[in-house]
Amino acid sequence: MEIKYTIQGLLVYMTIAAYLLAFVTTIFRRPKIGHIIYLLGFAIAVCSLGYRWYHVRHVPLQNLFEVFLCLGMIYPVSLFCRKALRVGGYAADMLIGAIVLFPAGFVFNAEPQQLPPALQSWLFTPHVAVYMFSYIFMAKATFQAICQLAGRNPKPGENLLPPEEATYRIICVGFPLLTLGLILGSYWGKQAWGDYWGWDPKELWSLVSWLVFLGYFHFRYMFGKKHTRINSFWAIAGMAAIIITLLWVNLSRIFSGLHSYAT
Amino acid sequence: MWLALVLIIVLTILSIYGAFIGAERAQQFFNKPSLVVYWIALAILLIVGIAAFRRLFRVPGLLLIHAGCVLILVGGLWGSQGGHNLQKKLFGIDKIRSGRMAIYENSSENHVTLSGTREQKELPFSLKLNDFRIEYYQPAYLQIETADGNIQRVTAELGQQIDLGPEYGKAEIVRMFENFKMSIEDGKRIAFDDPRPGLNPALEVQITPTSGEATTHHVFSLHPGFGHTQGGPKMIYERPPYRAISDYISELEVIDKEDNIVARKDIEVNHPLHYGGYHFYQSSYDDKAGQYTILQVVSDSGLYVVYAGYWMLCLGVIWHLWLRHIFSRFKAKSI
Repeated sequence: MEIKYTIQGLLVYMTIAAYLLAFVTTIFRRPKIGHIIYLLGFAIAVCSLGYRWYHVRHVPLQNLFEVFLCLGMIYPVSLFCRKALRVGGYAADMLIGAIVLFPAGFVFNAEPQQLPPALQSWLFTPHVAVYMFSYIFMAKATFQAICQLAGRNPKPGENLLPPEEATYRIICVGFPLLTLGLILGSYWGKQAWGDYWGWDPKELWSLVSWLVFLGYFHFRYMFGKKHTRINSFWAIAGMAAIIITLLWVNLSRIFSGLHSYAT
Repeated sequence: MWLALVLIIVLTILSIYGAFIGAERAQQFFNKPSLVVYWIALAILLIVGIAAFRRLFRVPGLLLIHAGCVLILVGGLWGSQGGHNLQKKLFGIDKIRSGRMAIYENSSENHVTLSGTREQKELPFSLKLNDFRIEYYQPAYLQIETADGNIQRVTAELGQQIDLGPEYGKAEIVRMFENFKMSIEDGKRIAFDDPRPGLNPALEVQITPTSGEATTHHVFSLHPGFGHTQGGPKMIYERPPYRAISDYISELEVIDKEDNIVARKDIEVNHPLHYGGYHFYQSSYDDKAGQYTILQVVSDSGLYVVYAGYWMLCLGVIWHLWLRHIFSRFKAKSI
């Protein structure tokens, strides 16, 4: 763990501080002020990503530091879920944003790197970006699944969906992105390495994530109304697979493979 | 539905197992006969499912998703080694599934060493390598200053030549070293690139005067001035100690049996050559002298079936989970 005494580090810490302050303000029943601070945190997160982009001179999605920087820009997803899907959880999103930025601020190496030949492709940005969006949606879905298991429902008058339905709605948005990420990655693998499927640990774990959510849809279709709690377990298992795909595969030596440059 | 759920869970467990054993062993594992039976069973179940569940025909998104999965499985099986063996048996098509070929600069080659074996097979055409080069983010230069004050500078690449005028003749870069070392064999000094950790970038420059014998000089980037001879040209090798590679490029020509050039392409990472039912990828190179390139050769059998499946799966998922809801919302609003 190290503190980054750089402008980049300062921007990351300011975003974390804003998200945490927004979270505290919201849970102490000042949601409007919390929302303004959350928006301010998002603005700093955008500046942080923009600064990184300017600094490295390519789309900053190359390594875990840059990916987590991108994941920290959770606000648009919160807004979309609230307005379009009637799913709440602003306070949780603020906390997720701070948690996600923590490893970027204190753990991952922020040394700028030039793109290796394999990453110089038009598929680099869409492949990683759709995955990042899907991961944020799935993280939100997991929070709703946990709320369902904990028996926490939205207050009457909030005009929000109950957690089980909210989980389903968010997964419906995230799953096409997960599919698109998998397929774009496969197409890119064919262009760069010669095979659209190389049985690499990262590829297999991303397939596992996709399959778990596929299983979720099948299970919910079969027993959706009877075993609503099991639906939520499927969603949590899917998120666990995503965390392994994103972190464990890159950080552990157990899974060395073609995606090792992403650390 | 139960069976579908069971097959999804089985594939999830198998994928987790595959992730722990590494890519090479996982590839062998998922191509085992028992797993081929699983893939075929999955494809059959999907086809039977499409036929049996009438609901799928009323929901185009779900139909596209399931049909897309069938195409991906069929394309994958058709493009596998087993699929290639079947093509040979049924239609007499004898294609190489995958392999590697090494081609020296200015020579052509049509022999492919098959993956996992030492067996070689011939392609029905040849590939000629005109040039192989590595490009770096930070370029390196060779600068030569002659006694009359004439300074010339070229990018440090193998084969680069500098005309030094009538007195000195011509200079050519004949070797490049990352970690230059000298050994003495039979009383002769021999330069070599030491693969062990270390850094001593150097160039071997041959100077051929208009009359007289060629002389060999070594120019070091970390030791400028080392080896300068009295009255001889001063050479400087400018390069940062560590350089990131930006690209590997092989300039290729495809030559048919009648010796005609039928295609040309500079292949690089992410930009393979597609010709005659094969894709050719930049895979490796001669890291000592940069004289040859190594290409990966992969058959395109079943590939477009898989791609069609990808399109159908993507369109199906997006239609079923996004677009149909957006359209129905617009419809409801307009009513």
